[in-house]
Amino acid sequence: MRARDEFFIGFFPIPPGLRPFLAAIAVALILLFAAAGWFAASTQAAPEEAGFRFDFGRQEVTGVLSLHPYPVIRVTEGSERLAAGRTVMLSGGGKFAPPQAAALDGRLVKAGGVILRRGDLDMLQIGGGDANLAAAEGEAPALSPPERLGRWRLEGEICDGKCAAGAMRPGRDLSHKACANLCITGGVPAVFVSAAPVEGAEFLLMAGPEGGPLPPEALAFTAAYVSVEGEIERVGDLLVFRIDPATLRAL
Amino acid sequence: MSVSYIPVQWNGFKHRYNLALALAVGLYLWIFVELGPALLGHANPITPQIHNARAFGSCAFLMMSVILMIGPLARLDVRFLPLLYNRRHFGVMTALVALSHFLFVFNWYFVFTPFPSWEALLFSNTAYDRALGFPFEAFGIFALLALLILAATSHDFWLSFLTPRIWKSLHYLIYPAYAAVVAHVTLGAAQGVRGLAFPVLVWSLALVVAGLHLAAWRKERRAAAAAGEWVPVCRPEEIEEGRARVVRLSGGERAAVFRHEGRFSAISNACAHQNGPLGEGRIVDGCVTCPWHGFQYRVEDGCSPAPFTEKVPTYRLRLRSGTIELDARANPPGTPVQPLEAPR
Amino acid sequence: MMLSPAAAMSNRVARIVAVQTAALLMDLARLWLWAGAAVSVPFLLWGVGRVEPNARDSWAFRPLLIPGVLLIWPLVLWRWFLLETGRDDWAKRHLPPRRAHAFAALLLAVLIPLTIIAGLAIRQGPPAGAPVLLEAPE
Repeated sequence: MRARDEFFIGFFPIPPGLRPFLAAIAVALILLFAAAGWFAASTQAAPEEAGFRFDFGRQEVTGVLSLHPYPVIRVTEGSERLAAGRTVMLSGGGKFAPPQAAALDGRLVKAGGVILRRGDLDMLQIGGGDANLAAAEGEAPALSPPERLGRWRLEGEICDGKCAAGAMRPGRDLSHKACANLCITGGVPAVFVSAAPVEGAEFLLMAGPEGGPLPPEALAFTAAYVSVEGEIERVGDLLVFRIDPATLRAL
Repeated sequence: MSVSYIPVQWNGFKHRYNLALALAVGLYLWIFVELGPALLGHANPITPQIHNARAFGSCAFLMMSVILMIGPLARLDVRFLPLLYNRRHFGVMTALVALSHFLFVFNWYFVFTPFPSWEALLFSNTAYDRALGFPFEAFGIFALLALLILAATSHDFWLSFLTPRIWKSLHYLIYPAYAAVVAHVTLGAAQGVRGLAFPVLVWSLALVVAGLHLAAWRKERRAAAAAGEWVPVCRPEEIEEGRARVVRLSGGERAAVFRHEGRFSAISNACAHQNGPLGEGRIVDGCVTCPWHGFQYRVEDGCSPAPFTEKVPTYRLRLRSGTIELDARANPPGTPVQPLEAPR
Repeated sequence: MMLSPAAAMSNRVARIVAVQTAALLMDLARLWLWAGAAVSVPFLLWGVGRVEPNARDSWAFRPLLIPGVLLIWPLVLWRWFLLETGRDDWAKRHLPPRRAHAFAALLLAVLIPLTIIAGLAIRQGPPAGAPVLLEAPE
């Protein structure tokens, strides 16, 4: 009897003529899954060189806190890894700004936390409580005013500064878009990852046209390559990109 | 088939089927999750939660593709029918793997936020007006819900309670769900700076699935329906002993005319269990046996032998000028009909 | 060109609407599941035995039905009603929705290639454009 004439009934033994065929299918299925697993795993691209730097230890700095457009500290007394004169973005322990920051805008503060680093992008993750972020003794010193660098058109990707700095690897691309939007909506600094350095910087803190946080319509353009125009100014060592949302265009 | 329902019916074949399946799936996940990071050797490894989400997501897609290949393959070549037999266990396993993918994603991308996570799943990206940046999660949520509905209604009770017609209509959800998963991957993981190798794997599988369905559909399309009260079937000698000839009736029904011990009887072609094609089955121990799950019916009255209780409609037959004719008006399920004697 | 205050406001409103719509959808989903839970109690205790002779004395399999009832309880209620009132049409049990196969085959054959083409069309490579200074600072 040819295999095609064998009649399979589930609760009876498998007809002898069908056995080799079914055994071959089972082996093929297992091999297919194993090969597919190997292949699919091998296609996963390497994430950026970025991440938490627990190896640096806890960093404590003093500086002036600004909440506009997003929480940053302009360091006046630095630590081993964050020198005085730097402007460092801040985030809380999750997808939000440090909650203590709300009451400290413009004040001299002491901040402590762990660094997330990707290239020249530093983000200080700050835990809850006064021990990690509180007003410091003394008046906030006068800082150098922002230096205006003109109106630019840049190409690159809008990311949340925390995941882009390595809190997640990868912390970019469309599969990460919802998370990036959630971070930005929660008050984590939005960052423009420029395709080519602008005035020496690859990562720019983003702001809305009036200098506030990103307007909601910009969320439609996150996590993909876009071109956008806006004013750039240098605040300490950090470039701030005040975008004009009407010029956002997917590439 | 069961006299009374039990949680899961097991037999030797199902055990071996599930063993092969568990080995295949386990191997995929083990290679991706455990060997993957070493294989890739990234200086900055992918976050484990994200790596796991990718492993389970891609595995669920592969499982869904293979499941969807079984149906058309069995229609193109009957040797694949045994794979169809235990497909529901395959399906339930797929739903669980897909659910794991969702949980890895949900418990990473949508937590640690001041917003409620379930709501965040829906509002974090609302760019429904564009392809690039489209909230591809929506396709995934739809597909996962479909898989969960299918898995949750896979017990035989649901077939009988909903009727095969409604049950099958519900389970056709698998097709839009599959299309949605392809869109989910295409607008999500397939975009960005990662290479084309993974999207090409996904797209190739999807094209094979679509191609097989087209091929099986073309094969089914031939044969036209016959109209009238008495419908000609064929000459008696054209039906082999223990086999059937299927006639399509104008109402969309199909009847199967069987030859058993030289005499002819007709029953509905649709099995009472899952509407499997009885006419493609055989007569085993005097009973028509469904090629899908082995449900059996006596050929003269369409009743399952005791203690089983399934019934299918029967049809009357007559012989006119050497041709078997069938009365297109079905008898209620389980109506005995005297078999038609045909001269040699 | 700056976004007008009215446009900016409408964007913020759209965002709030999105958040509230999400909350509403989730509330509806929770309500759906609770309704399913309410249906599952009488259905599993009494209904199953009444509509399905084979299930009359079987209890072990009934918990397996809970997820199904939670998800498709309106369909459960409708079928229960048809069976209780004797309105079920036996002939329909033997009329599988065969045409759906053709529909499914065509659906996949059209949607999958379209999706792939769309996916390839929108794929982005790394941008090559260098930063452009449009207006130097005053």
